[in-house]
Amino acid sequence: MNNPFPLSREGLLTAYRRMRTIREFEERLHVEFATGDIAGFVHLYAGEEAAGVGIMMHLEDHDRIASTHRGHGHCIAKGVDVKAMMAEIYGKATGACAGKGGSMHIADLSRGMMGANGILGAGAPLICGAGLAAQKLGHDGVGITFFGDGASNQGTVLESMNLAAIWNLPVIFVVENNGYAESTSVDYAVASDSYVDRAAGFGMPGITVDGTDFFAVYEAAGEVIRRAREGGGPSLLECKMIRFYGHFEGDAQTYRAPGENEANRQHRDCLKIFTGKILEAGVVETGELAVIDSEVADLIEDALEGAKAAPLPSAAELTTDVYVTY
Amino acid sequence: MRAVGIIANPVSARDIRRIVSHAGNLPINDRANIVLRLLTGLAAADVSDVVVMPENGGIRTQLMRTIERERRMGTARLPAVTYLDMPVTSTYLDSAAAARRMADMDVGAIVVLGGDGTHRVVASSCGQTPIAGVSTGTNNAFPEFREPTITGLAVGLATSGLVPADIALALNKRLVVTVNGRHEIALVDAAVVAERYVGARAIWKTESFRDLFATFGEADGIGMSSLVGLTDPLDRTTPQGRRIRLAPAGTAPRTLAFPVAPGLIGRIGILSVETMAPDVPCRPSVTSGSIALDGERELTFGEADDVSIRLETDAFRTVCVSDCMAFAARHGLLVHQSSSPCHEGEPR
Repeated sequence: MNNPFPLSREGLLTAYRRMRTIREFEERLHVEFATGDIAGFVHLYAGEEAAGVGIMMHLEDHDRIASTHRGHGHCIAKGVDVKAMMAEIYGKATGACAGKGGSMHIADLSRGMMGANGILGAGAPLICGAGLAAQKLGHDGVGITFFGDGASNQGTVLESMNLAAIWNLPVIFVVENNGYAESTSVDYAVASDSYVDRAAGFGMPGITVDGTDFFAVYEAAGEVIRRAREGGGPSLLECKMIRFYGHFEGDAQTYRAPGENEANRQHRDCLKIFTGKILEAGVVETGELAVIDSEVADLIEDALEGAKAAPLPSAAELTTDVYVTY
Repeated sequence: MRAVGIIANPVSARDIRRIVSHAGNLPINDRANIVLRLLTGLAAADVSDVVVMPENGGIRTQLMRTIERERRMGTARLPAVTYLDMPVTSTYLDSAAAARRMADMDVGAIVVLGGDGTHRVVASSCGQTPIAGVSTGTNNAFPEFREPTITGLAVGLATSGLVPADIALALNKRLVVTVNGRHEIALVDAAVVAERYVGARAIWKTESFRDLFATFGEADGIGMSSLVGLTDPLDRTTPQGRRIRLAPAGTAPRTLAFPVAPGLIGRIGILSVETMAPDVPCRPSVTSGSIALDGERELTFGEADDVSIRLETDAFRTVCVSDCMAFAARHGLLVHQSSSPCHEGEPR
């Protein structure tokens, strides 16, 4: 059977494993958060996997990303260790940031993951720094900042787009448009809601893709990333997508239309769409995906058990890794 | 006077061709301005009612802001604008749903803002309701470039009956693509490419192109149909189509340079150029791949699938703007007699 897709068979299975890992991670957190054992808030990426993975499949460790409050999916797609992530969410000493960051501050610079961020729109100026570093160091690294339709209105995002444009930085602004800024519809809160227009206002190209279609995101991301690596400068990629859960865990979601979540899961589940395509083409078999499902379930179970059993940071370490002197 | 429909979907012309070529972006405020110019032309032709596709992208906000201001100031004479009562998905599906509803309302014509893809979606759903295109898309082989004020005038004259239907309206060809019983249409071209996934939809990688089927092709056209225009041109009315068998550049007896998209010249091998007769099904040259309808991948097929491409003539109606305006000029349709006689030396 010929493979008609732009990824090898192994690449397709890798993409599936990453998306499945994110889904399983988030679905388990949805259950575990309700027990009250996790401090703070969590914001789940379930339903949005195709965007994060479709983009990150093009990146290497020297490429940097700046994430959002909804950052678990970005971390996993960028290669951050899942067990360290889970421990971090539980605030344990074995966490990716020694238990001091929690869900909204997971980072792993060795993987180019500059951090989730609880401040909306705060990743945009950070990624301009990463882009400037790549430019000055002369390597082909790119920087990608993610932000939502809500954060798209933040001054930091718009100022960063201006900065990236005037310095011709290898930076990509990814709008993850899931339709809601917390509980406020994008239709209400965003004037002239074409993000492509906003990019054009800063002299950079922008495009919109169906963020529930892995292949649409993968193809579009490949082109904007290649453009940035080749010195073509910044661009904007809007992924229209859905989130399965509320803004945060515990959100009653009264702002949604009746049946909206059910319809999304039935018709716009990016994992179902992806598996439907690769199975229909005969490139992979159901059994191969089932093996990955089982391995991923075991990994998440191990991560959970490990996180729960791990020690809390000691009081003596309260101020270490928090302040930097320079 | 029958109402006129306007479909201005803010999601059109946002695809990957803004990265892989140098395709433009028509901002939301310019789209709103185009609708206002259409309304001005329609009003001048005495159209009193216009129905518009609802959207949440910002066109409506700017449009109604301007209409309301001009109404308060008493400076405008625009038709009454109402929005269809329909759910908004912020996808191309809105264009199809609006076209169906406007056809059900028996509007006199539907004016469409967009390129080939948007016009295809509307023509798929509007039955025999005439459409008039305003070129605002990426590839614009189907809609002609023209000032929207004039399109509004012509549509108004056609809808009112001041220009007879046999002059105002034209019948058009289309392609019907069938995959296992599922029918889709193309207004300009259907391209078979080797990639068997839809992905970012647009096509630009010429090495994967295998077949082109087209209803017409002009030598100064843009996109896939320019292959017809540059090899064996065909107009919009002759009851035949063209099929061109394609191969990667350098692997065929001749290689042709052609404008794949705005700012992107590609090279492609030409194996043969053939005439398509109406109503005769054709099969793709390859057993698996995808089919791009008017420039966008829509359908995938494999070895087990039954695929055919067929030319239909007299398939749907469009408003002939230039013919309407020429008729209006010949018959003085826009001339209003002055109540006082002209004096010597005044312009007549």
